[in-house]
Amino acid sequence: MDVAHGSTAALISSYVFPNDLHVHWSMMIVLYPYITGLVDGAFIIAALYYLFDVKSLKPVAKFSLLFAFAFLFWATIPLLLHLGRPERNLNMLLTPSPSSAMAGFGYIYAVSMGVLVFIVLFVYRPQLVELRATSKGYLQLLYRALTFDSIDLSEKAIALDGKIIKFLVGIGIPIAAVLHGYVGFIFGGVKANPTWSTPLMPVIFLFSACVSGISAIILAYIVIRKIKGRSIDHGCIRTCVKTLTLFFILAFTFEMLEVFSHSYLKSGYHHMVEGLLNGPLANSFWLWQVKLGSVLPLAILGVMGLIKLKDTLYSSLAAIVSAILLIQVLIMRWNVVIGGQLMSKSARGYTEFHPEWFDKEGILAVIAVMALPFITLFILSKIFPFWSQSNTSKAK
Amino acid sequence: MKILEPSPNLDRRSFIKKVLNGTIAGSLYLAFPIGGNTLDLPEQIPGIKGKPYDIQNQEFAFIVDITRCIGCGSCCVADKREYNVPDGNYRTWVERYVKGFSDEIYVDSPNGGLDGYQTPRDDINEEVRDTFFVPKLCNMCKEAPCVQVCPVGATFTSPDGFVPVDEKRCVGCAYCIQACPYSVRFLHPETKVADKCTWCYHRIRKGLLPACVQVCPTHARKFGSMKDETSEIYKILKGPGVLTVLKKEMGTFPALYYKGARREVI
Amino acid sequence: MNPSYQMRLLLVLASIVVLAAGGLLFKKLLVPKSFGVYGPYRADAIEEEMLVPVRHGTNESCFDCHKYEAKTHKKGRHQTISCEFCHGTFADHVDNNKKIATLPVKKEKEITTLCLKCHNTEIKARSEEVIKTVAMPDHLKVQNVKLTHNCNQCHHVHAPLKYINRAKEITGLMEAGL
Repeated sequence: MDVAHGSTAALISSYVFPNDLHVHWSMMIVLYPYITGLVDGAFIIAALYYLFDVKSLKPVAKFSLLFAFAFLFWATIPLLLHLGRPERNLNMLLTPSPSSAMAGFGYIYAVSMGVLVFIVLFVYRPQLVELRATSKGYLQLLYRALTFDSIDLSEKAIALDGKIIKFLVGIGIPIAAVLHGYVGFIFGGVKANPTWSTPLMPVIFLFSACVSGISAIILAYIVIRKIKGRSIDHGCIRTCVKTLTLFFILAFTFEMLEVFSHSYLKSGYHHMVEGLLNGPLANSFWLWQVKLGSVLPLAILGVMGLIKLKDTLYSSLAAIVSAILLIQVLIMRWNVVIGGQLMSKSARGYTEFHPEWFDKEGILAVIAVMALPFITLFILSKIFPFWSQSNTSKAK
Repeated sequence: MKILEPSPNLDRRSFIKKVLNGTIAGSLYLAFPIGGNTLDLPEQIPGIKGKPYDIQNQEFAFIVDITRCIGCGSCCVADKREYNVPDGNYRTWVERYVKGFSDEIYVDSPNGGLDGYQTPRDDINEEVRDTFFVPKLCNMCKEAPCVQVCPVGATFTSPDGFVPVDEKRCVGCAYCIQACPYSVRFLHPETKVADKCTWCYHRIRKGLLPACVQVCPTHARKFGSMKDETSEIYKILKGPGVLTVLKKEMGTFPALYYKGARREVI
Repeated sequence: MNPSYQMRLLLVLASIVVLAAGGLLFKKLLVPKSFGVYGPYRADAIEEEMLVPVRHGTNESCFDCHKYEAKTHKKGRHQTISCEFCHGTFADHVDNNKKIATLPVKKEKEITTLCLKCHNTEIKARSEEVIKTVAMPDHLKVQNVKLTHNCNQCHHVHAPLKYINRAKEITGLMEAGL
């Protein structure tokens, strides 16, 4: 197969199929995996505490469940905004095609929501029963509903709760893995697109999802506690950062393995992928995603892991690394989703993507969709206390 | 009823006009075959018109002969008119390939070939070795990736081997558009559902050829049934000679074959 | 009645099962009837695809009324060209056996542009076996014709060689084999 050689020749011989000029999966499809990724990562923290008994994570365990819930609640919005016919969205539940990865969405989402809601309710039950006793009016009615109208806090009941929580978190992990993994498979299963079609795609998506979720918890914990003037449990931060480091090394390894093995194998349409990464996506990929977004945080995490640092410095670096990684994962989603569509299937050219401001999938819509979970989190904080009683000491 | 404009040789029609008036003429129009009813046309695909259609027992194929395509764009124009295809989207298009002596391939498709190709490319700075036109349309894959990925069953392989889009079911997720290796699908800007070439299924079921096949002046586009052993399609496909498909490595098994396509065609 | 905690949990579980069953019933009611007849799709969609209006006729549908043009066109080199390509679709012209509009006829420079869409030699991809091509304005110069001439001033659009051959007969060029 003759291909374009050299940069100037590539410009002259560049050809994009007439139907390839438009990028169909826009910013909302970048957001959807990002949001479910945050859910997954936050859930990992909760799972480590509730299932694997990592005691140092106690301060953030409940908070990460609420965080996951706040984001999962709004996960359908980017999809509805993207659909050409959102009023027909029930078709996914009514006639899901057995061969389509995307068809799994309706049921996977419903089950994960159900499981997460019940985990939150069981984990918070003792506190909610206490709050029921001290609240009045509609709030009390709400607490009654949330606790199944039971005030039973006997040892037997608590033991039962514990078993249920362990069971739900236990099935929650594979469910969460499918919730985000299937999105990776949606991309990985498209043989027509050379950047997307790889068996590694669900793996890359899952690991970077965990990275984003854990970073979000670290950053949110530090920021919210600082705003409220409360202390930070540095042991908790250290455990979170160690987990983050592990997942990030895995995610970065797989991301780079994908790029380098294609570049080495030089099979199929690799020249298009290389042209993409060295051309339209050069800045976005090499500078922002790899150098600033991955190598820099790896260096910082390396310092944090290998050198003994004072708690306050450690936590500040943790916040900085988390912020960088949150942005890195978003850029990685952008490079995969939108970057992948820039290559024409003619294997001879690239198209361009220009984000709109006022489109239903535009920049303002993206900001609104990302703001909603935080607003939800704020409302949730009024019903479910983020931190347990022992954790409300003032900052030193 | 408005009388059709008479042409010099229409003896039969002028007789009717002179002798009979309005209403009786109206009823007699039913008796005499009057032009203008497509259903009365001689059928272009044998064995379909007026006969029961066995949907489970059909096999159609489409052959594009690149050695005969002159890039006139009739097919693109006919297709756009048959379906009112919105601007900027293409159910079928024609590409121009220019090969230089440096083995560089220059491909373009100005407006999808709708205006034909009226001028040569002026941006090629080397001697031209070979040129040819390649019409593109839906490959009607036997193992279509678009069918595999559609989440709601809006695009499917019908028992007679076609891949239509169910306009009433499609949710506009654009997954099929991502999955098609040949880029023949697009999102209709008005109905917001997926759309693509259907090999003029509505014409085939009436025994007519697809619009693009019918208007092609050089018979570069060919269509027919593999169940009809007298058809040109059968003879070409069963005969010797090289027929290729696009992106064979994708494993889609297209029912669209190319005759005379070079290896540079993707 | 004050159910114990365990009973309440069982009730919650039972209501989830009931909801799921309700969902399945809902699904049964809402899935279109023709779904699943041939496969996991709406079989009616195939019938609906057949209802798309046919807009192009064939040349025969034009010839049924335009018998004069038919005679010329069928004998000429342009017999494979669709009337509708130059003039517009059948559905725009006739509906229900009645003429609903007059189709456009190209004039003057439009004709030349239309001819060159196919007959322009500059586009090298046109094989001589398939189509005769000319380069403009060379063709006019070679034929000793004014450069402002349109194609149809020498060539009958429906039968391009009709006048050319007739002229050759008259001048004896035909007999001379030129």
